[in-house]
Amino acid sequence: MSARTVSLNDLVGRVVHDVEGRRIGRIEELEAEIELEGDGNEYVVTRFGVGRWGPFDAIASGLFVPQLVRRIARATSYVRYAIPWDCMDLTDPEHPRVTCAERDLPRSSDG
Amino acid sequence: MGAVHLAHDVLDAQLVDRAQEKIGRVDALLLEIEAGRPPRVATIVIGGAARAERVGRWFVAIRRAWRAMFGQREEHVSRIPFDKVRRIGDTIELDVEERSLDSEHLERWLKEHVVCRIPGAGGERK
Amino acid sequence: MKKWSEVALGVVTSIGGFLEVGSIATSTQGGAEFGYRLAWVLLLGILSLAFLMEMTGRLAAVSKRTYADLLRERFGYRFFLLPLVAVFVVSFLVLASEIGGVSIALQMATGISFSWWAIPVALLGWALLWRGTFGIVEKGTALLGLVAIVFAVGALKLHPAWPAVGHGLLPSAPSENRARYWYLAVSILGASISPYLYLFYSAGAIEDEWTIEHLGVNRVTAGLGNLFGGVLAVAALIAAALVLAPRGIRVDRYEQIAMVLASPLGRAGFVLFLATLCITCFGSTLEIVLAIAYMLAQGFGWAWSENLKPGKDARFAMSYTVVILLAAVPIAIGMNPLALTNVSMVATAASLPVTVIPLLVLMNDGDILLNHTNGWPSNIALVIIALLSVVLLLAALPLQLLGGG
Repeated sequence: MSARTVSLNDLVGRVVHDVEGRRIGRIEELEAEIELEGDGNEYVVTRFGVGRWGPFDAIASGLFVPQLVRRIARATSYVRYAIPWDCMDLTDPEHPRVTCAERDLPRSSDG
Repeated sequence: MGAVHLAHDVLDAQLVDRAQEKIGRVDALLLEIEAGRPPRVATIVIGGAARAERVGRWFVAIRRAWRAMFGQREEHVSRIPFDKVRRIGDTIELDVEERSLDSEHLERWLKEHVVCRIPGAGGERK
Repeated sequence: MKKWSEVALGVVTSIGGFLEVGSIATSTQGGAEFGYRLAWVLLLGILSLAFLMEMTGRLAAVSKRTYADLLRERFGYRFFLLPLVAVFVVSFLVLASEIGGVSIALQMATGISFSWWAIPVALLGWALLWRGTFGIVEKGTALLGLVAIVFAVGALKLHPAWPAVGHGLLPSAPSENRARYWYLAVSILGASISPYLYLFYSAGAIEDEWTIEHLGVNRVTAGLGNLFGGVLAVAALIAAALVLAPRGIRVDRYEQIAMVLASPLGRAGFVLFLATLCITCFGSTLEIVLAIAYMLAQGFGWAWSENLKPGKDARFAMSYTVVILLAAVPIAIGMNPLALTNVSMVATAASLPVTVIPLLVLMNDGDILLNHTNGWPSNIALVIIALLSVVLLLAALPLQLLGGG
């Protein structure tokens, strides 16, 4: 029963990795809804908006020029996931991890 | 759908009390994380200390030193449970009263010790 | 019917609002040293300001929040600190210059040295803000500011060669004194496009409870108001070109600027020049200090309004109190008002990117502006202004050093 208190400011912007250690992107948004159980007065986080902007990742992985060319060829390389709360492991809030594999994550239409 | 976007719509939003008076902005939002449960949106934090933390540790230190110069050691921060939120729109309405908020301390202090000592300061609207 | 009186008020406010110590000083310096050749820079400044004001006014009318509110809400606290600090520092310098303008006018009227006037002027300004409402501040400065029309009268009496003026309204670059020319261009742009102007305008739209119905009023006020005000600044430039340039007089004191109206209009011109300097600078003093207090209050979420008694918005009221009194200090200790003005204009020009670039994001955000986001003409104008602001930032320091005189 160890509950940790974390500030939203410390979560937004954190880099998220998946089970295979691959960098998924950064936490950009947290969506919350009213919890239907209990007294119906609490908001809980239901989804995390995690976004990856291609060019930055390309720079990070060291294959900048070929990746840039490929990415310019497509209209936009921005990818946004809407990750359900139970796929997000925040036991270490400074290193969020996704407990599913990247290919299984739902993509979001926002962003 | 009723989903609230915490970073976009809650953080930094203008807060108003029961009487629609402005009582600051959401300077920080605290979440409670427990394994196996969805993170709970727990607390709205209003106050200069919370803002300073967002800038960085160096700023927190400078601020503390600056305030110590004036003998200010206590922090006046309000921590309001998120269940006090009545409505989320252009502003966030809270079911609280301004005079119960520690973050409004400076407003009250200035009003009592400075503003009201100068003629023409009292009353509602001009 | 009421809308039209609002339009008229808005236009009249902008007339006096455009002309203040910065535009008087920079336009006349420009005219004295380069004749009509800097007129196009003034026109560029006027157009840019008109677009920026229309946009921040539209933001307020549609979203019911001011530009400063939205800077914090959409970009977060950390980013907000950037425009906050930049606007505070730069506006403070301009504020001190405006107090200088009033003080110099009073010195010329009474013979008592300008430094003695700084604190009384600040106290009078403070008293008006403390006791007055937004309407009083707005209408008072608007109506009294109409005295600035004397610049148009003076310029007309000097019979400028209109084709030559027209020529000056087209962009040109000189072959000599280039550093000085571009330095004056930068300071003219800093005088015309001041962040406090469009920030104040946005807050004013909320004070006046504008709604979507006011979008037409907004366009007319921002457009016509600045056009008329800008015409007066061009008139000042023309008058300086005809009075000072032929005599080879380079402006380094406000007394020389007085000649610009004293020459065509005699004693009456001199008196009206003093009145204009005094009134427009005083009006701007009130506007700038309010703009600073608004930005602080809105950014931190305090209660604020010029229509509330200070007891109801103590932090806001104390902000403008402290700022106006501190801003009197530079002039009170004897700093040269004209030098202060020149520096503050260049500093303003350099600070523009942090308050112009965020508009590129906000004005295209459908959540904030519903279906009143920028059309492509406004976006093109905004991109041009944004690029201009970056050029000004890069050029300001080098030009200050090379052309600052």
